[in-house]
Amino acid sequence: MDTKLSRRDFLKLAGSFAVAPALPTWMPRMAFAPQGVEPPGDILVVVFQRGGMDGISAVIPHGDGDYYQHRSALAIPEPEDGSDQTGIDLDGFFGLHPSLRPLKDLWDEKTLAIVHAVGSPDPTHSHFDAMDYMERGTPGEKSIPTGWIGRHLQTAPWQNESPFRAIGMGGVMQAALRGPIPVTTLKSISDFHLQGDVSQLTEIRARLESLYNLGSTLDAEAMETFNAVDMLDKIDVTNYTPSGAAVYPETEFGMAMKQVAQIAKAEIGLEVACVDIGGWDTHNQQGQLEGELPTLLNEFSSGLASLYHDLGDRAERVTIVTMSEFGRRVRENGSEGTDHGHGNCMFVLGGGVNGGKVYGEWPGLAPEKLFDGIDLDIKTDYRHVLGEVVEKRLKNPSLGEVFPTYSDWKNLGIVQG
Amino acid sequence: MPVNRRDFLKMSGLFAAWSALSSCAPVVPILDSPTATPDSIATPTLPLDDEALIIHTLKRISFGATPAMIEKAKRIGIHAFIEEQLSPESISDDETKDMLEQFSTLTMTPAELFRLEKKGTPVQELIAATITRQWHSERQLFETMVDFWGNHFSIFIGKNFCKVLKTDDDQKVIRPNALGKFRDLLHASAHSPAMLVYLDQAESRGESPNENYARELMELHTVGVDSGYSHHDVAELARVLTGWTITRPRNRKTEPGIYEFNPEIHDNGEKHVMHMMISPGGEDEGTQVLDMLASHASTAQFISSKLARRFVSDSPSPELVDALSNVFIQSDGDTRQTLRALFDSESFKASAGQKFKKPLDFFISALRLTDTTVKRSTRGLQEHLRLLGQVPFTWQPPDGFPDNEEYWATTSGLLERWNFGLLLMSNQIKGAEVDLKALTKDAASPEDVVSVLSLRFLGEQLPDDARSIMVDFASSGNIEDNIPSIAGLILGSPHFQVR
Repeated sequence: MDTKLSRRDFLKLAGSFAVAPALPTWMPRMAFAPQGVEPPGDILVVVFQRGGMDGISAVIPHGDGDYYQHRSALAIPEPEDGSDQTGIDLDGFFGLHPSLRPLKDLWDEKTLAIVHAVGSPDPTHSHFDAMDYMERGTPGEKSIPTGWIGRHLQTAPWQNESPFRAIGMGGVMQAALRGPIPVTTLKSISDFHLQGDVSQLTEIRARLESLYNLGSTLDAEAMETFNAVDMLDKIDVTNYTPSGAAVYPETEFGMAMKQVAQIAKAEIGLEVACVDIGGWDTHNQQGQLEGELPTLLNEFSSGLASLYHDLGDRAERVTIVTMSEFGRRVRENGSEGTDHGHGNCMFVLGGGVNGGKVYGEWPGLAPEKLFDGIDLDIKTDYRHVLGEVVEKRLKNPSLGEVFPTYSDWKNLGIVQG
Repeated sequence: MPVNRRDFLKMSGLFAAWSALSSCAPVVPILDSPTATPDSIATPTLPLDDEALIIHTLKRISFGATPAMIEKAKRIGIHAFIEEQLSPESISDDETKDMLEQFSTLTMTPAELFRLEKKGTPVQELIAATITRQWHSERQLFETMVDFWGNHFSIFIGKNFCKVLKTDDDQKVIRPNALGKFRDLLHASAHSPAMLVYLDQAESRGESPNENYARELMELHTVGVDSGYSHHDVAELARVLTGWTITRPRNRKTEPGIYEFNPEIHDNGEKHVMHMMISPGGEDEGTQVLDMLASHASTAQFISSKLARRFVSDSPSPELVDALSNVFIQSDGDTRQTLRALFDSESFKASAGQKFKKPLDFFISALRLTDTTVKRSTRGLQEHLRLLGQVPFTWQPPDGFPDNEEYWATTSGLLERWNFGLLLMSNQIKGAEVDLKALTKDAASPEDVVSVLSLRFLGEQLPDDARSIMVDFASSGNIEDNIPSIAGLILGSPHFQVR
């Protein structure tokens, strides 16, 4: 049976550590600035590509002849200078899908690194198990109820009581955030305030606080909501203009990335933001240079690039990491799509990234090199990438607690520090 | 090309008028009935007395226990009430039927739907009809099970042909089988053009099958991911199902959007699925595997655990799941029998207040219990359901909307609920109207106002601590001015978030 401990159980266990109301909750709360020690490390933005991105269409191994053997309708043509109908060469072996063009400048200025043939070693082809394992940070193991980011926040050697320490965009709490530290979920900053009879809002707010202080399982979440509302109250949300000529895609993902920038710039204690982008489960007619996957890749890359440019100098202290539950089958299927696979690629972007390089050993796509005879093999455990970011960029040395089932660490040198 | 959720929401504008009619359920005076033991969402639940058991049961088998339902269940007894709900055809539901007449696409054939100029219309109408039924139908348990199976066999309505075909799935797959045998439902779903399109089965060809449907058929529809099948089983099942496809809208020789088996794209070799050898047999191969999956012990466990999570708690006891699973097996997958056993179980009776309402449960229960009426447009209500996060059929992955507190009880989720309740009760949602005078009747004192509204919205009084907070608020200033906020606060209270 499922015996996982819910977040609220945790909050009960964690007691006063997580939320310590010193004042009676019905009193108007003092707006507070993050208390305690300033986090020493970067802001982390985790982008999860839900559905399983086709990593060998995103970052094509054009130097591996077998790539073109497996894919007839879907292979991205070998790079040709000046063409927007071919891959964009990176290092003579790998290239970007042309729809990832917005990332090329970042590669050139060495703030974007790519890791290929990377992923979670558990062989499952189930979306839900694969996502679950990846977000727990314990592939193959479901007994640890927290997520890897939740454990990072829990073990970090500093405190930060801001309700915006960790945020889940899209109004959901991503499983990676599970743990004792409260998380604020957000859909829209501008709507994040209490509504009703305006002449009574102060009174209403006070009564709501009292109703959510009677010992229900929802009390901690409600307290977090009140705190977040108070803090956002001080940000001018209506007049936000992105910097650096950033133009975010007009999609949920684009809007989420824009709001991450807004919160990061507001300096209200943000340490981790999780953002989802769905639609990667391209079993059918995924599209080669145009269509479903290219459209998504474009949305994804312009969202990443816009956030980076919008952050300006602050990008020096921000690291963006992307992941997806698995890659897709090397051989395309009969409906010009791809089924669930294994190995994939990840993007790591930020001022502290040793970019301009594809990291990881490439296993090759020759039939005998494929995992289980069908999938791109995984030569780099995704936890190496995350571990390096946690230790060097976020400055949390407790990797053993963040990734408790893993010990075989390798230093890949993807990030500085 | 599949349309993503965002495009789809933009494009469709969503929902026609759900209904301009109001529910005119009589308000039954039940104020003088003995006060029930309050559901507690903090302390372990004690055994319930008769009245409390009625309220608890009604909250679980409906989208909101109205005074009329409570009165009836008290009159005929909860057992008889459940039995009646388990035979929905015996319950007259003319009012709902009348309301649905405005949705002309509901009963159209796929061919007629394909001919429509505006492909968004069937999407809007199906969503609107679903909400209308959940809101107004007398067949509440039936609608609850339609919602349950609609999520079990989830189809994202924004994906290409699903825009027109989900109407057909709802009409011919989910609704006729919602209280029937699981085997029939499974077979119907496997022949559903909308499902075959949604999970790409319609595109799967013998030489290089598409595994999407085969995988989810095992993982999400039947035996579950931990039942021990391998990737090889998935690949073999995908081979078995090659040829299960639909007629195309562009092919003028056939009526479009109908299931068909196409032997030309079927893989005729021998296959092995979960230790079962399948000899070449065309379409019959798939039928054999569906029967095997329907009667598999892991399927009984999987369905039972989902039913227990829906009706009892987010983490039901293994004993309950085993007991339900036995009934499921012995009754040949009979949903009615399994539900009877569930409602009869001690676990069920001891679970009052332990289920967090999904956003849709919250939304519909608020509309039902406040006797909200719609004037002209539902645009305002639509927008709130979107913000709450659960417009029917818009969950993109194939696992259906989550049904647990952990997923839905978030900061933004709570805030949306508070705002919806407060805005609805102060008549600030465009197109929606609430008559608070009718709800509070003759209540004049702060105590009476809080009592009447609590009983109406919760089916029982608030526990003393919450009640005194509300009475204190009601006593501050002019009671008339405070009533909308009092009502809104009860809808926003922790007590209204659970059922």
